[in-house]
Amino acid sequence: MVDSLVEIDGLSMRYGSARALNGLDLKVMPGEIYGLLGPNGAGKTTTLKITAGLIEPTAGSVVVSGFDATTESLQAKAQIGYVAEIPILYESLSPRELLEFVASVRRIDKDSLHRRLSQLAEAFEVTSAFDSPIATLSMGTKQKVAIIAALLHQPPVLLLDEPLNSLDARSSRILRELLSLHVQRGGAVLFSTHVMEIAQKLCSRIGIIFEGKTVAEGNLDQLRAQTGGKDATLEEVFMKLTNESSEVENIVKTLRESFFNDEAR
Amino acid sequence: MKPVDAWRLSAIPYSELAFKSILQNSSNMWWGSFGRGASGVSEREDLVERALQIARFDKLIVAIVVTAAAGVPFLPQILGGSYGLSASVTLSLAVSFAFIVLYGVQTLSSFVTGGFSPVLSTLPLKRGDVSLVNLLSFVRTCDFLVVGSLACQVFLVSDVTGSVVPGLFMLLAGVANSAIAVGVSLWLSSVFYKDVLGSKRGRGGGVLRLVLLLGWGIAVLGIGVLFAAAGYLIPLVQGVLANPNALTSSILSLIYPFSLGVGVGATAHLFASSGVEKTALAATAGYLLVAVVVSRWSMGSVASFPEGASMATGIERAHDTSTALHGLVTAYVIKDLRTASVNLPSAFLFTLPAFETLLVLLNRAALPSLRASTLLVSTALGGLVSLILPLVLVSSEGTGFDFAKTMPLRISTIAFAKALIATAVFLPAVAVVCLESSLKPLTSPALVSIPFASILAVAAASLLEVRLFLGFTSAGRIRFILQDLSRMAAGAGTVLLPAIAYTVAYLLKFDHTLAAGAMISVASIELAAVVEFVHRS
Repeated sequence: MVDSLVEIDGLSMRYGSARALNGLDLKVMPGEIYGLLGPNGAGKTTTLKITAGLIEPTAGSVVVSGFDATTESLQAKAQIGYVAEIPILYESLSPRELLEFVASVRRIDKDSLHRRLSQLAEAFEVTSAFDSPIATLSMGTKQKVAIIAALLHQPPVLLLDEPLNSLDARSSRILRELLSLHVQRGGAVLFSTHVMEIAQKLCSRIGIIFEGKTVAEGNLDQLRAQTGGKDATLEEVFMKLTNESSEVENIVKTLRESFFNDEAR
Repeated sequence: MKPVDAWRLSAIPYSELAFKSILQNSSNMWWGSFGRGASGVSEREDLVERALQIARFDKLIVAIVVTAAAGVPFLPQILGGSYGLSASVTLSLAVSFAFIVLYGVQTLSSFVTGGFSPVLSTLPLKRGDVSLVNLLSFVRTCDFLVVGSLACQVFLVSDVTGSVVPGLFMLLAGVANSAIAVGVSLWLSSVFYKDVLGSKRGRGGGVLRLVLLLGWGIAVLGIGVLFAAAGYLIPLVQGVLANPNALTSSILSLIYPFSLGVGVGATAHLFASSGVEKTALAATAGYLLVAVVVSRWSMGSVASFPEGASMATGIERAHDTSTALHGLVTAYVIKDLRTASVNLPSAFLFTLPAFETLLVLLNRAALPSLRASTLLVSTALGGLVSLILPLVLVSSEGTGFDFAKTMPLRISTIAFAKALIATAVFLPAVAVVCLESSLKPLTSPALVSIPFASILAVAAASLLEVRLFLGFTSAGRIRFILQDLSRMAAGAGTVLLPAIAYTVAYLLKFDHTLAAGAMISVASIELAAVVEFVHRS
């Protein structure tokens, strides 16, 4: 049996009195794009941050390519490429300076670095901005730089938090193709998104997180089976599993009444 | 929009700019904040809250300090001394000018780099109203400082002379002084950040930045000298200005801010050199004109970027993606130097230890030979000042540190890199001490080892301090402050311990060779112990 590249077991996280994660479990296998879906505050970003080694969990464990993310964090981080929801970069550096730093720390050999860097920079159209301070770049370009930094060392595991948010159509398409190639080569991707269409189209498996734990997991058919809706879309499945279906309907109804009442006045 | 409403509304964009500036230059954070952005994601919220608090009260605290500083040069008059007013006014204007520039550069960086928030432009307000609000928020950056120092200067001049006329003239001179200072800080920020944000930095340029940093260091040092030597400077300057026949007094009466000082003094008829007075008054009229021109430029510059436009532009397009590769520690050192050097308030600290040691040595320039105490004090002072750097380096990581944390980097690697920079920055100070040692006879040849032992002590202290600042932080504001202080104290103790060992050993045996041996031994043991601690932690 093939070992998982990411294994999260009983993950819990508290920020003061607030509970962000409550015993979350999931596994991402080689060759798999695993989509994390959940409402705002469900714990998607926290899960990715813990897996990337940014924060330590209150309880539970994360194992990346066989390395414990807490006790063997260096080895685990060497296996990961991480893109945050809002790009976290050294904004006073230029992309060239930042990527030079990344390549040096990741100990990428010179030939591979030049080849990959020129390919990725060209693919994402960031070459012309290579000497501009990151602080002066648009959000989309910052996101592209963060993506290049995550892909540069060709890690087996990619952790992407809403990676398509600020990207233009061209870059979005390129990233999706890159992710497909990555899993075809045996890598794994764990990524969070709010866009149901993307999750439906791109992910091999989807985990729906609600109030800090996984409430459903599987491909679309398996999720449909769990909610009893044979032809349901992912959005409908999601709404049902997160108990938001009836709530959303009520809110829309109230808003509609209020809107038409205002117009009538 | 009524000006009153615009003024009221301008408090919001001003707060945002002050907040952005403080968060941007996290090295400006005060006690209880150092390194906290580096300690954990959840602490970033605390950091933001702290930046908001500083944004609210920073200006008030600085204004109190500046007001007091503007009054210090008048102490001889207040205490009933016989010195003239011109020198006091000149020094007071110079001090308030320097303080406004220093504070202005720190706060105005967010105007220059980011411009105003475009939020106002999205509201149903006329373009002229938006410009007015933005202009007033710019005025707010230095209002307390200007009003405080002006009130102090006008009150003291009126009080000392017992007349309203010199007070009114002081008001005029003070307003001109403040207007020029604000203009200079806006220009300085603009030039510095234009260089930083321009493409030249990627091409190994930055000569202008170096010049600005040195100028900045000298300006900061200048304030220190003004305060430290006020007692000597005031009679000295007054002596020169009061001599109507000397060419120096005529030249000084043309130079800013001496001309303003002589001008104010002239209105009080404190000395009767009409030629110098007339020259000074004519020059003052010229400087008032300059102040008007500078004010118009400042206002025009600020009002012209109401929609997030920035003064610091001019980025060239890159054509290739070639990069260099470095070893782990070297890569981190380069990264640290780059991030810290693009921030004017933090970057000048790199020059501070050399200045500091130079000052100490200059004070002893008259000594025919170098004693152990001279070398111990000089190197210890330089070392203590160097300890500000680890703190600045940790703080200048800012929120970007989250990026480093996602990479396979040991905390010890980061600590070694920062300690290496802090120690390297201390080396010029040691070089200055060594140079003086070679030029003057030493009371014992063993004293040669003191600067070298101090390098070991500074390396150990920097490493310890960085590691402590990158470590766990306890909860609670008072605890934060106490923790910061204890970390600094640990670093200071590590710097001072070898010097103490030298002193104790010498007092016991009166043997410099033995004392130097004790100093080197203690410094070596310290360094070995700290390296072991950092490796293990």
